[in-house]
Amino acid sequence: MSGQQLRIDEYRIETEPYYLATGDELAVAEAAYADGSPLLLKGPTGCGKTRFMEYLAWYLKRPLVTVSCHDDLSTSDLVGRYLIRSGEAVWTDGPLTMAVRAGAICYLDEVVEARKDTTVVIHPLADDRRQLPIEKRGELLTAPNEFMLAVSYNPGYQSVLKDLKASTRQRFVALSFDYPEADMEAEIVCTEAGVDASLAKSLVKLAGMTRGLKDSGLPEGASTRLLIQTGKLIGRGISVKTACRAAISEALTDDKELLAAMDEMISSLF
Amino acid sequence: MELEVLKERFFEIVAPSIPNEWDVEEALGPLASDEAEYVDDIFSQIPAIWPVSHSLCFAYLHAAGPALCCLDTDELSLWVHSLLDRYETGGLRAAQHFMENVEQQFACYRRGEGGLRLVDVRGRLQPYVNGLAGRELTLITADMPSTDGESLFLPGEIGVFSEQDSNFLLYKLMASFQWACLDGGTFEAPAHLPLKKKQAHPLDCFFSEFDSPANARCLFHFFETARILQYLREELPGLMRQAAPLLDQLMQDEADSSSLLSRLQDGLLHNHWLDEGTSVVDDTARQLVATVVESAKDNSGSLDAVRELMPLVDVHENFENTKPLVFQGKLRLQEMRNLGLRAKMDKELRMMQSAHLPPVLQQTPKEQQPANGGQQQGQDAAMIIDIETALEQLPPFMHSQMNLESALPEEKNSQTTEPGQSATTENTVNANEGSGGQVFAKEGQGGRGGEPEHFEPIVYDEWDFRRKGFRKNWCVVREKEVTPVKNTFMEKTLTQYRGHIRRLRHQFERLQTSERFVRRQREGSDIDFDAVVESMSDMQAGRHGSDRLFIRLAREQRDIAVYFLVDMSNSTAGWVGQSIKEALVLICEAMEVLNDRYGIYGFSGMRRLRCEVFPVKRMDERYSQTVRERISAIGPREYTRMAPAIRHMTSLFSTVEAKVRLLIVLSDGKPEDYDDYKGDYAIEDTRHALLEAKAQGIHPFCITIDRQAHEYMDHMYGEVNYIFIDKIKQLPARMSEIYRSLTS
Repeated sequence: MSGQQLRIDEYRIETEPYYLATGDELAVAEAAYADGSPLLLKGPTGCGKTRFMEYLAWYLKRPLVTVSCHDDLSTSDLVGRYLIRSGEAVWTDGPLTMAVRAGAICYLDEVVEARKDTTVVIHPLADDRRQLPIEKRGELLTAPNEFMLAVSYNPGYQSVLKDLKASTRQRFVALSFDYPEADMEAEIVCTEAGVDASLAKSLVKLAGMTRGLKDSGLPEGASTRLLIQTGKLIGRGISVKTACRAAISEALTDDKELLAAMDEMISSLF
Repeated sequence: MELEVLKERFFEIVAPSIPNEWDVEEALGPLASDEAEYVDDIFSQIPAIWPVSHSLCFAYLHAAGPALCCLDTDELSLWVHSLLDRYETGGLRAAQHFMENVEQQFACYRRGEGGLRLVDVRGRLQPYVNGLAGRELTLITADMPSTDGESLFLPGEIGVFSEQDSNFLLYKLMASFQWACLDGGTFEAPAHLPLKKKQAHPLDCFFSEFDSPANARCLFHFFETARILQYLREELPGLMRQAAPLLDQLMQDEADSSSLLSRLQDGLLHNHWLDEGTSVVDDTARQLVATVVESAKDNSGSLDAVRELMPLVDVHENFENTKPLVFQGKLRLQEMRNLGLRAKMDKELRMMQSAHLPPVLQQTPKEQQPANGGQQQGQDAAMIIDIETALEQLPPFMHSQMNLESALPEEKNSQTTEPGQSATTENTVNANEGSGGQVFAKEGQGGRGGEPEHFEPIVYDEWDFRRKGFRKNWCVVREKEVTPVKNTFMEKTLTQYRGHIRRLRHQFERLQTSERFVRRQREGSDIDFDAVVESMSDMQAGRHGSDRLFIRLAREQRDIAVYFLVDMSNSTAGWVGQSIKEALVLICEAMEVLNDRYGIYGFSGMRRLRCEVFPVKRMDERYSQTVRERISAIGPREYTRMAPAIRHMTSLFSTVEAKVRLLIVLSDGKPEDYDDYKGDYAIEDTRHALLEAKAQGIHPFCITIDRQAHEYMDHMYGEVNYIFIDKIKQLPARMSEIYRSLTS
């Protein structure tokens, strides 16, 4: 068990992550934590969902166990499995079990990517039972008060296949995230990437323009994360246009015409 | 070459049509003196042009000889290609214009000279503009740059500069400037002049207060231009930096100092102002420009400037004689106004329609009227709000009715369809049915107010193999609702094939996601004890034990989306159509046990402008009673123009995400239409449509009952991608079998 304790400590966040609140999301999340309700974060990619979870974990002084979900994620990947070690079957906790035992925050990133039958395993954890049955061991774990479950997904993908089941989503307190207002976003880029305010403002403007290309074949525009990356590149001495092209336009699309159009935007702005 | 010989050859080429001899003589006259090899080249293009238009062909024969003076013979086919494009977009006149000036219209583009055309830069400029605006602002060709709030109008060609890069930059500047006018609030109504219904644009009202409204308007536009340029400098500094040398070059030579406005333009662009003290008007204007540029945040600054400057302007000045700056273009206040009104009216109309029950709506404003009493001004706004809230004001049972509307269209049809209408009457009405159906749809629209986007026509290109190119925007495809029909067909089929359906379901069930345990894996959810025992005994025996000790549950998920495209041409009348319908029922019943997504569409139509596609079951629709009734309603209609329907399916597929995308076409014969869409042309077009589908990752497959199928199907679909069913009675049974083998 001490090994477990050591492992969970690695998930603690010691220094305060930078997070600029855009609304009352922190108050809602704190209240949900106090009530033992699970949290659902939705919003486009790179808008600060994961950063918010890090901040929340730091704020609540709980370790944060993050699982990036994918379509091959099985129940035992979450809960745990027996492994054979030197001729013996040894049980190993999965990240979810580990988080429940330690009273940590378990954050399932992009939960819609996981198979539907896998998501069902969180159901008893996500309602007032707050239990995790580990069938293979015949164990029923009850989550301590400190434990919190959080999931995130991106509703922008708009695929019938990739939607949360109603029975899953109705267990959560949902927080909707979006790209911050231009001023705030500029402040974030400014702080995170260490660029000057006017450059940050122009980068945000560029992001706004790419977000307007939805009807022209760009499903998602540049995220705040991309802007920060761009800013960092610029900070390392890459020229603004090259950085924008490398970190924004090329990252967003392969389409020649859209690339050309974004080049025009970049040359207009800088 | 002898005229007689030419004539003979011409008639040979265009056979079986027999054009008037004197027309031919007249057209071929100029060619008689030409060299034989030229004539061969010219004649080689006739097969591509003749079927498109006979008059165009004669015009071509006239023009081809002179055209070859500035064209290489191998450029001729390219030229004809462009010619046909012109003809199809602009008609005979445009084509003639194109032919008259070969050098200017064609040759210089080939050499990369001449101006930059909007069509060539649209791909780059349109997303740029959309990005700026954050919404779609369509680029439209016009004489002068301008905007009406929904579109940007730009010249069709810019040849101001010798380098194309500069020309493009000018395009970009024009587009950015027009966007900035919208974004910067040039067209906003001033605070003291609110926007009113049935009145000109408030700005026009403002101008009309002056002795010369036209001058006021021009001045306002000028001051706004100054302000917007400043706005652009702040918003898009990169663009303005790039464009600065361009702006310097503009109007340099045509500066005309006699008009005040042109002096001002010169001042604004090149900072050439008259010396201070020369003219009071100029000095005032200069100061006003400086104020507007420095401090104005909206158009009120320009309005103030106009108010101040207008009394000083000489009455003989006519600013309309001064050309506006090339990127500035003109103000389209009236259009903007109309557009605003139209948007409002559209909204009202939509609300009316979606509210489904006009009487209730008509009452609502009336009830509200007394309350609003004499307040004339608030009336318009109030009415719109009424309509918007009318939905909420409806009794709750009507809400549910509206929600159910999409799920239960038979209900609404029972209101609009005559009670006696059944499948049999549908089958008997044939040629007249099309127009009748359209009228019906129109009548129905107001009442049922369904989703109007289903009726939006979509335009597709058509492949012309003779010229190895597309006929642009050639076919108009409309989705038309199939009126569900209640009859005994469904029941009869279900009873008749009862056993068959049960067997099919069983077979299909086995196709469903197969879960199986894979043993001896390095990783897995459970321990494979056999492997562990083996491994341990191996180790006991001193051998190396395997590390493949786990069982993994492997799930092979089917991720299949399929569209069935059903031929609803006239030739399917009778038992062919009956079998096709039965086949559809069987496949639907069987598909219900699978998770495969599927849609069923019928197609028919007449001529290129009326290709019709009938959604029987959309991809995301459930196999409901309505769908069953729509299957019952499938009946023979008109012709088999297959390619537009295939292209439509391809475009529908573009929104479907699936590993396997299958298009199964059920047909009874060759593609054919009322016009000259037949023979090789039709087959080649269909083949091309299928190739386009394949390029999109769609697997087309055809089930045909045409005995001659082997002659053309190989070519159209490829050898293994179709199946010929000999006995039509077998179709229902075979189709499900085919589907099963295709997808497993």
